[in-house]
Amino acid sequence: MYFALTEEQQDFATAVRDYLAERFDLAAVREVVEAGDSDGNPPALWTAAGEQGWLAVTVPEEHDGLGLGMVEAQVIARELGAGVAPGPWRGTVLAAEAIRLAGSDAQRAAWLPRIAAGAAIGGYTTRGSAAAGLPVVEYGAVADLVVAPSEPDLPGLSLVTGATATPVGSYDGTTRLDALVPAGDGVEPLPGADVEVGRQLTDRATVLVAADLAGIAREALTRTVAYDRDREQFGVPVGSFQAIKHALADLHVGVTMAEHAVLYAAHALDTTGTGGIGRAEAELAVAVAKAKASEAALRSTEAMIQYHGGIGYTWEHEAHLFYKRARRLAGQYGDVATQRERIASLTI
Amino acid sequence: MDLSFTPAEEEFRAELRSWLSAHIPQEWTRPGFWESLDDQESFALRRDWERDKADAGFAGIQWPTEFGGRGGTPGMKAIYDEEMVRAHAPRTVNPLGLTFLAPTVMAIGTDAQRKDIIAPMLRNEVIWCQGFSEPGAGSDLAALSTKGVRDGDDFVVNGQKVWTTNAVHGDKIFTLVRTEPGSERHRGISMLLIDMNQPGVTARPLRQMSGASEFGEVFFDDARVPAADCLGEIGDGWRTAMLLLSFERGASGISQYTEFRRQYDEIVEVARKLGRDRDPVIRDDLARVLTELECLRLHSMHVLTQTEQGRDLGFEASMTKLQWSETFQDLWEVYDRILGEDATLDTLQEGTDLRPLHAQAMWSRSVTIWGGSSQVQRTITAERVLGLPR
Repeated sequence: MYFALTEEQQDFATAVRDYLAERFDLAAVREVVEAGDSDGNPPALWTAAGEQGWLAVTVPEEHDGLGLGMVEAQVIARELGAGVAPGPWRGTVLAAEAIRLAGSDAQRAAWLPRIAAGAAIGGYTTRGSAAAGLPVVEYGAVADLVVAPSEPDLPGLSLVTGATATPVGSYDGTTRLDALVPAGDGVEPLPGADVEVGRQLTDRATVLVAADLAGIAREALTRTVAYDRDREQFGVPVGSFQAIKHALADLHVGVTMAEHAVLYAAHALDTTGTGGIGRAEAELAVAVAKAKASEAALRSTEAMIQYHGGIGYTWEHEAHLFYKRARRLAGQYGDVATQRERIASLTI
Repeated sequence: MDLSFTPAEEEFRAELRSWLSAHIPQEWTRPGFWESLDDQESFALRRDWERDKADAGFAGIQWPTEFGGRGGTPGMKAIYDEEMVRAHAPRTVNPLGLTFLAPTVMAIGTDAQRKDIIAPMLRNEVIWCQGFSEPGAGSDLAALSTKGVRDGDDFVVNGQKVWTTNAVHGDKIFTLVRTEPGSERHRGISMLLIDMNQPGVTARPLRQMSGASEFGEVFFDDARVPAADCLGEIGDGWRTAMLLLSFERGASGISQYTEFRRQYDEIVEVARKLGRDRDPVIRDDLARVLTELECLRLHSMHVLTQTEQGRDLGFEASMTKLQWSETFQDLWEVYDRILGEDATLDTLQEGTDLRPLHAQAMWSRSVTIWGGSSQVQRTITAERVLGLPR
C-alpha cells in the first residue's frame, strides 16, 4: 500500500512552489489583477512553465513531453492554486490531453511538441460549441488552439484555431475569460472524439480544477493560522481562543480530506481501464474530489476573511484573491450540488 | 502510488475469510441478532467465539510472535479490521485490553507482567477494563481523585471510576490512581492493575440512552492491589497513560469505514421503501455523507501508508477520530430526516423492523464523546498540529 506522492512527485511540487515564491509571488499576482485590460498571461511565468516541464507533463515522450499522468498534473495544479497564479496552464494541458486522446497523428505531431515547449497556448471548454459560439473560455483571447464541442449536444470535439474574442468580465482577476466566435476556416474536428473521450476529458478538467481548489484551500488555511498565531486582541493571540481554534481545526480536517480525494481521483484517472480502478469507481472518485475540494476551498477562503478581521475585507489584503478564485472554480464543471447529485446517482 | 496489498497479505485475507465464513453462523448476521440476546448470553457467546478465533491464529495480528501474536504487517491488520466487519463478526469483548494494555505491557511491562497478562488476555481468560474517567474527571483526566495509600506491600484504593466499558464483565482493571498524598494534576499518579474479583471492588451497569448497558461504574472501597502490580514506575502513571493512549494512533479507520458504508446502503434501502430516494434534499444529504465516507476510506489508506513507512502519525489521530465520528453522526441524522414524521416508530408501514437501525442512531450520539470528545480532538488538532497558542 502506498497512497502518497513519491519523492520525485514531491520534488516536482516543491519546484513549482519555490519558483512561484521566488519569481511570481502575490505582488506579481496583484499586478495582473490590477491590470484588468492586460492579457493576464505574464511572459516570464509562461516561459518558466514551458522550461520547467509544467506544460509537457502529460505529453507523451515521443512528442517531446514528460509522459507523466494526472497525479503529476494535479501536483502542479495544486501549487498554481496555492499561488493563485494566473495564466493558461490548465487549458493548455487539457488541450494537449484532447489531442493526445482524440487527435489524428498529424494533429499530434503538429501541436504536442509545441505545447510541451510552451510555444502554443491552449484552451478547453465544455460550454457552447464551435458551431454556435463559445460563451466563456479561459484565456480564449491568447489561445492558439481551443478544444470545444463541435456542435451542441453531440459528442464530437473540434480544434478551434481561429476566432474573434470578446472579453468576459469576472471578479476573479487571477484569470482572464473571453467569449469566442470561431471563424469558419479556423475549425477542424478531432477525429477520435466520442462520448468516452469526452467524458475522460471532462473528468481530467474536473480533477485539475479540484486540485487548484485544494491548493487554494490549504494556502488560505495556512495563511490564516499564521496570522492568528501572531495577531493579538485582549492581550493574547486571537488563535488562542477556542472559537477560532475549533473552526480552524475543522478546516484542517476538511482540507486534508480534500487533498486525499483529489490525489485519489487523479490516480483513478491514470489507472482506469488498465486493470486498476474501474470506470464507475473513477467517476465516483472525480465527483467526490470536486465536491469535497469545492467545499473545502469555499469554507477555507470564507474563514480567511473572517479570521483576519477587518483587514481581511480590504482590497490591499490578499484574502479576496483566494476567495474570488475559489468562487469561480467551485462552480466549474459542476458545483457542489451537481457533484452530489452525480454521487447520489452512483450510490442510491 | 500502489493501492494493492502484497501477495502474503492477500493470502492472509483469503485464510481469514475462509475461517470466518466457516465459523460465523448465518443467524449472527441477521440485523438485530445481538441486540435480541440478553447481555450475559451475548457476552459469553462472543467471549468463547473470540477465544476460538485466537486459537486459530487470528488474534494479535500485528503483535510479535513471542507474545503469541501473528507477527503480521500493518497491511494484515487493516485487512483483519476490514474482513471482520465484512463477515459480521462479533465485536471483541476485550477491546481496552487488546488495543491499549497489551502493547503498553509489551513496551514497558516487567517480564512477569508480560507473561501473566498477554497470553491470558488473548484467549479471553481475563477481561480487562480501563479505569480512567471519574465523575469529576472526564475530558479533564488529570483532575482524577481516586486514592491509593501504601500499606505494606499493597496499595489500598478508594474512589470511583465511570464510563467503564464491560464494567460488569471485567476481571481486572488498569486504573489511574493518585498514590502520592497531596499530589496535583499529572504528578503522583500510578497505573495500578487491580483485581476486580475482590470484596473492595463493586461494578454497576449504567443504562445508556439506547437501552443497552455496555459500560458502568466501578467503586473502590478499600480495594487492595500489590504495589508490584503497577504498570510503569510508581508515581509515573501519567506518562504510562499517555503511552497507552498513543496506541490508538495506528487505528486507520478502515473498520469504521467498512461498517458505516454498509449502514449507508441499509439507510438507502429504507429511503427507497419510503420513496424518499427521489427527494433531491435527501439525495444531497446522502451524497454529502457518502463523500465524507469516501474521504474516510482514503484517509485510512493514508494512515496505513504512513504506518508502513515507519512514521509516527502523532496527533493526526485526532483527525481520524473526528472524521469517522462526525461522519457517522451525520449519517444517522440523515436517517432521521428520511424517516420524517415516523422517525421514532419501531417498524415501517410495510413491516421492516427499524429497531436495529434506531439503536445505531442512538449509538451515534456517543461516539463524539467517548475516547476524547470532538471538542477535545479539535483543541488537540489546533494546538498540536496547527501550532495555535495554548
